[in-house]
Amino acid sequence: MRTKSAEAKTGREGRAADTGGPRPRSADPGRGPARRRFISRDGTAAAVMIAPNAIMYLLFVIIPALAGVALSFYEWNLFDDPVFVGLANYQDVLTDDDAWAAMVNTIEFMVLGVLPTVLVGFVLAVLVNTRMRGVGTVRVLYFVPLVVSTAVASVLWSWLYQPQSGIFNYLLSLVGIDGPAWLANTSWALPALTLMIIWMSLPLVIILYLAALQRIPDEIMEAAKIDGAGAWRRVWQIIWPNVSAMTLLVLALQVLNFLSAPFETALIMTQGGPIDSTTALSLYIYRVAFEQGEIGAGSALSMIQFLLIVLLAGGLRLIHRVRVRGA
Amino acid sequence: MKPSTAVTVTRYTAILVIGLAMGLPLFYLFSSSLMTPQDVSAYPPHLVPPEFRWANFTDAYDFLGARTIANSFIYSFGIVILQLCIALPAGFALAKVRFRGSRALLVFFAIPMFLPNNVVLVPLYVVTNELGLIGSYAGLILPIVGRTAFATLLFRQFFLTLPDGLIDAAKLDRAGWFRIVRHVAVPLSGPAVAAYASITFLNSWNDFIWPLVAAPGDDYRVMTVALAPLAYQEGLSNVPPNVGMAAAVISVIPVLLVFVFTQRWYIQGVVGTGTDNT
Repeated sequence: MRTKSAEAKTGREGRAADTGGPRPRSADPGRGPARRRFISRDGTAAAVMIAPNAIMYLLFVIIPALAGVALSFYEWNLFDDPVFVGLANYQDVLTDDDAWAAMVNTIEFMVLGVLPTVLVGFVLAVLVNTRMRGVGTVRVLYFVPLVVSTAVASVLWSWLYQPQSGIFNYLLSLVGIDGPAWLANTSWALPALTLMIIWMSLPLVIILYLAALQRIPDEIMEAAKIDGAGAWRRVWQIIWPNVSAMTLLVLALQVLNFLSAPFETALIMTQGGPIDSTTALSLYIYRVAFEQGEIGAGSALSMIQFLLIVLLAGGLRLIHRVRVRGA
Repeated sequence: MKPSTAVTVTRYTAILVIGLAMGLPLFYLFSSSLMTPQDVSAYPPHLVPPEFRWANFTDAYDFLGARTIANSFIYSFGIVILQLCIALPAGFALAKVRFRGSRALLVFFAIPMFLPNNVVLVPLYVVTNELGLIGSYAGLILPIVGRTAFATLLFRQFFLTLPDGLIDAAKLDRAGWFRIVRHVAVPLSGPAVAAYASITFLNSWNDFIWPLVAAPGDDYRVMTVALAPLAYQEGLSNVPPNVGMAAAVISVIPVLLVFVFTQRWYIQGVVGTGTDNT
């Protein structure tokens, strides 16, 4: 009884907050038995409006997610009857050297990619956040990677990375460096892919930071200028702390991004090679499930990947809480 | 206090130079799509084609095939239209209709927003396969239509801003909920639809993994799946790189046009929800 009323209360509060104020009395459909009838009729209408959506969502998001959990306890090749094996898949996966190598590659992608994307995105957003004439047009250039699919970017960048005639090695040769065969070199392929993913990820980061920057009151910046703070100090001591909430969101999105993006990119550009040096966890899962036909082991790996996300998200929340308390 | 001219000039230059660097790969895509095979692999590399070879585009069209190009449109528009049909009413109901459990439903839709699609790729394939849909348009499109969380929450957010008075007025005119949705809510939802459509069209047009997994063979493949093999070194040898670049240009042009015209909505949509659901 108590929980029920508490629930109803938070429900109403939430709604009032959403609409930016209490609902007008006139929207309240009366009291007593009449009200009860009204609610049930609204319930039917709502059900009809939501059902198609909820069914599709249930069928193609919720059920697969649950099926993934279940499948991780079975051995199955899609054709024969599935065999329940308990935790055997997890055992196999955790003692699988290739899986660990894929995990190490994933961490490498994240270490090389996440912070540079967030920092460069922030700096570029600060740079283009100005009302100077003509900047609006030039700003579109910063969003260009949005229109390019991973497939197209891969075709394009694999050509830019060509050892003999590619633009990268040509530019390096101008400063006297003999560039490597980027995508065919075990130590350079992963950084090369990371650079491309950073390029593809920057627009979203810039857009989100621009939104945060435009919410900083002009007065704060003016006051800092009058106090004689230089451009450098204004950026790192005023702007950066003021967008910290956005930084956390951007960080979370980029962690997810670098957990998933190397999958498509590596599958298309290097097929995980040379010698598995670009095989990230998600690509390895794809291999195990679709190429080796081990659905159960693939699902167990997906569960581990999911756990990893939960842990990382939990860590980011913790950082957020500590910082909010510290402030 | 006016910034000094030196600072302004430096900033302008930096904005322009970095912008050009960001845009350079796409510029190179367009320019190499018009080069001859010799020019595209010349050293030092050409930035501008010495001569324009328009035949690359007819070759690229032959390589892609009309059906593959059509499939890309069917896939993206299919997802956008079907999702609109189911997400608009649901978003409205969650925002404006009072019923028991609406709060719980909201949580139900919000939970997997941060679940990367490739985590459920294997079971999604299994479910679609069990439904007998692999190798059909339904199997290609419906599983992605099912990812309605982003659309539903975006429309709910938008409908929350509709004044209740409008709905009350319609109710006084004895309009039922469905008439209200069709004649009041949907006609007013232009900005939200534009934001949603521009983000979702871009994302689905550029999808690769699901179309690859769900549509084995050539009949239902989309352009990204046709292009991807060209990025791998051995793939490049089958199709000349200039023709490959022209094929890539063909696949970029529709989405480039959409983006140029809907940029404002795209950005509003991304900012409004904090994520583009990729």
